[in-house]
Amino acid sequence: MAFSSMAFLFGFLPLTLLCCFLIPARFRTGRNTILLLFSLAFYGWGGIRLLLVLLASCVVNWGAALLAAPGRRHRKAAFVTALVLNLGMLGYFKYTGFLLNNLNALGVDVTVPSIMLPAGISFFTFQAIAYLADVYRGTIPAERSLPRLTLFMAFFPQVLQGPILRYGEFAPALTDRRETAADAADGAVRFCFGLAKKVLLADALGQIADGAFVAGDRLTAGLAWLGAIAYTLQLYFDFSGYTDMALGLGRIFGFRLPENFNYPYVSKSASEFWRRWHMTLSFWFRDYVYIPLGGSRCSRGRQVLNLLAVWLLTGLWHGSAWNFVLWGLYYAALLMGERFLWGRALDRLPAALRHVYALVLITIGWVLFRCTSLGQVGEMLSAMSGAAPGGAWSGEAAYYLRQFRWELLAAIPAALPVKNWLAAKLEVRRASGSRSAALTLALAPKLLALTLLGLSTVRLLGSTFRSFLYFQF
Amino acid sequence: MRRFFNRAFLACLLAALLAVPGWVALRSHRETSAYYENRTLAELPALTWESLWDGSFGTKLESWYSDHFPGRTTLLKADTKVQMDILKRPVVNEIVAAEDVLLPFAEYGEQAPEDYARQAADIGADLQKLDAHIRANGGSFHYVGFPEQRVYFGDQYPGYLNSHAAEFETADGAFAAALAERGVRFLDMGTVYDGLDHPAAYYSTVDHHYNYYGAYAAYRAILDTLAADGWDLPVLTEDDIDFVELPNPYIGSRSRKLYNLWPNDEKAVIGVQRDPVAFTRWDNGELSERPLFVVPTEEYLPTTYNLYMGGDFGETVLKTDRPDLPDVLIFGDSFTNALETLLYASFDETHILDLRHYTEKSLKDYITAYQPDLVLCIQNDTFYYTTTGNGAVWED
Repeated sequence: MAFSSMAFLFGFLPLTLLCCFLIPARFRTGRNTILLLFSLAFYGWGGIRLLLVLLASCVVNWGAALLAAPGRRHRKAAFVTALVLNLGMLGYFKYTGFLLNNLNALGVDVTVPSIMLPAGISFFTFQAIAYLADVYRGTIPAERSLPRLTLFMAFFPQVLQGPILRYGEFAPALTDRRETAADAADGAVRFCFGLAKKVLLADALGQIADGAFVAGDRLTAGLAWLGAIAYTLQLYFDFSGYTDMALGLGRIFGFRLPENFNYPYVSKSASEFWRRWHMTLSFWFRDYVYIPLGGSRCSRGRQVLNLLAVWLLTGLWHGSAWNFVLWGLYYAALLMGERFLWGRALDRLPAALRHVYALVLITIGWVLFRCTSLGQVGEMLSAMSGAAPGGAWSGEAAYYLRQFRWELLAAIPAALPVKNWLAAKLEVRRASGSRSAALTLALAPKLLALTLLGLSTVRLLGSTFRSFLYFQF
Repeated sequence: MRRFFNRAFLACLLAALLAVPGWVALRSHRETSAYYENRTLAELPALTWESLWDGSFGTKLESWYSDHFPGRTTLLKADTKVQMDILKRPVVNEIVAAEDVLLPFAEYGEQAPEDYARQAADIGADLQKLDAHIRANGGSFHYVGFPEQRVYFGDQYPGYLNSHAAEFETADGAFAAALAERGVRFLDMGTVYDGLDHPAAYYSTVDHHYNYYGAYAAYRAILDTLAADGWDLPVLTEDDIDFVELPNPYIGSRSRKLYNLWPNDEKAVIGVQRDPVAFTRWDNGELSERPLFVVPTEEYLPTTYNLYMGGDFGETVLKTDRPDLPDVLIFGDSFTNALETLLYASFDETHILDLRHYTEKSLKDYITAYQPDLVLCIQNDTFYYTTTGNGAVWED
């Protein structure tokens, strides 16, 4: 079930809120049970057959963690077996097709089965691996309650697209959280903002990107850049919008989920970008791959190998295609370059130039990410460098600029920390006794949130507008 | 203050979230169709184990819920107004509001000329077989092609949008050449209209059809062509017809997609015969009292292109009981509707088939059974390359 669906907004969500909050706060287990049941229903909405995969993962990891906890015999074997099972499941569902297609390309004749990918498998598998590793290291105790671990794995605000949780941070809230009206209001505001990011901005900008990336022979330099920029913005608003919704929902139910984005497009280097983009994934790779491999406390050659390994895996985690591998290696090269080659020179450049440097490289990175083949990568990058089959500019680019000018205009301040800057200014005025500032701070976000919810709902309805003209005439 | 606002905000939000499902539960059964979208609303899906297992229940429920959202039409209408008048988007609900006319938005991709040439050869071969079949049954065949409104007003597209003018020219040219090569008579109404200085008054500004003036000009051109071939048919001249503008608001297929919010005062026109040719009508085999023009009973009620003959039917038969005149079979798209109100007056029996809806016989079997003196295929050029419906001319 998508957050940006009528069934979720006006069915699942109010029902969950009612069922959860009708149970008195002191019956914590009751509320957790309601959240668990609704989380399973949320996941099963896309097909019960896929829910079974999630449930199997929960049971296996729950059992394996109990066996892998410090003090248990054969705990290493239990840990390794569970790790292999997790990676095997991820590999089977996500990479079988990729692997067999490549074997076919090499001349080995194998049938490629059609495997339905369970939604969010990369997220919940990584959460499970983190949990197992933390238990194995003795950082956290193994969870004895299967329902509690299942709630951690299947918690509906984040099961599909993260943020990637750590059980050590999540578990205390299962018993000690406190739901308040202030938190719920803040959470609801954040949810509405996230919904608007997704529905009003990302979906519209996605239409520009879709048009540019399928233009083929019509591709112009202008359209290629417009499409690349639109995709850069779309991806941010889509993913960070989802994260805002997840964090907002978590807050309503009393959970403080970790931040995943920190205005990544204000970055002045590729390294900084990855400290601001999909932070929970970066931290996961840092803690469970990079540091165990030796991190940066080793020889330069080993560091290079570690970085290559991490970014190859990061690329593959995002998708099973060669362009994702290329994208991962692209960032590996950039990060190594900034660390070992041009990092100091970059630091001496004016901030504006560093910002342009980062934005151009990030945009090119997203082109690699979005393209469906290496051939298309070449076409897009050639067009962006001026060698476009359609020339410099076309009516198609002009159309997208006109049609989506409001979204493009709104996207720029929305991608920058303008909201934080305004809030800080108002906070200063409020602290000095301004009643209007206090009123604005208390009221404006809520009114804006309600407006955005209304606009997003209308836009969602608009996407269902269909007219079957020729059936009648 | 903050505490009060928090609680008030949460109360408003929860009320809104709960009001929608409540409204849907109580009232969803009342509406079954969306007039402006010209479609039936989704029905509540049945809850089955299979649909839960594969997830199709959720998808269908989402469609149903969206379709029955409270005030859906009003909200979409308001949104359309905002998109058009405040945000000034060039394309709203897939419609381009050009300076004087509403046109459909067309994607930028185009088909290659060689593809058209190849397809035209295949379609031409089928039409050649049909032509031979009609001749073998004692009739003659004419294909009458019309430019669709978007082609007719192609020059009105803003420069940055693709009118596909060059593509249509290629496609129409390849089609005409394929028919000429195979000896199939083809009357290109685009050329006829161009010969009359391409009058803007022949086409609707808010609908994808021509209007009654365009239909009348086409009628005269068809009869002129037949007369040149030696047919001696009575003709409805301007002296025989009063062109009457209906007072009702006219909603076209294009303006309908904009919830009729685009300002225009276009009215439907009908041709009232001063000395009407009487007829008996059958629709889909049933005797019908339906007149040539189905006009709303009240002036304030909107009318559409469906007023001509009452819209599309699988089969319509008009008999004028004048056995000295030949019989005609017309098949084609809705461009036939306005023409039928004129053409029937020149023939004894007029049989009209819309092969999108008519399933009783194949076209060739119908011709074998009915043995018409003349067969007219009437299509707009966006359907030239369609091989289903009225394009399925040589199927069993």
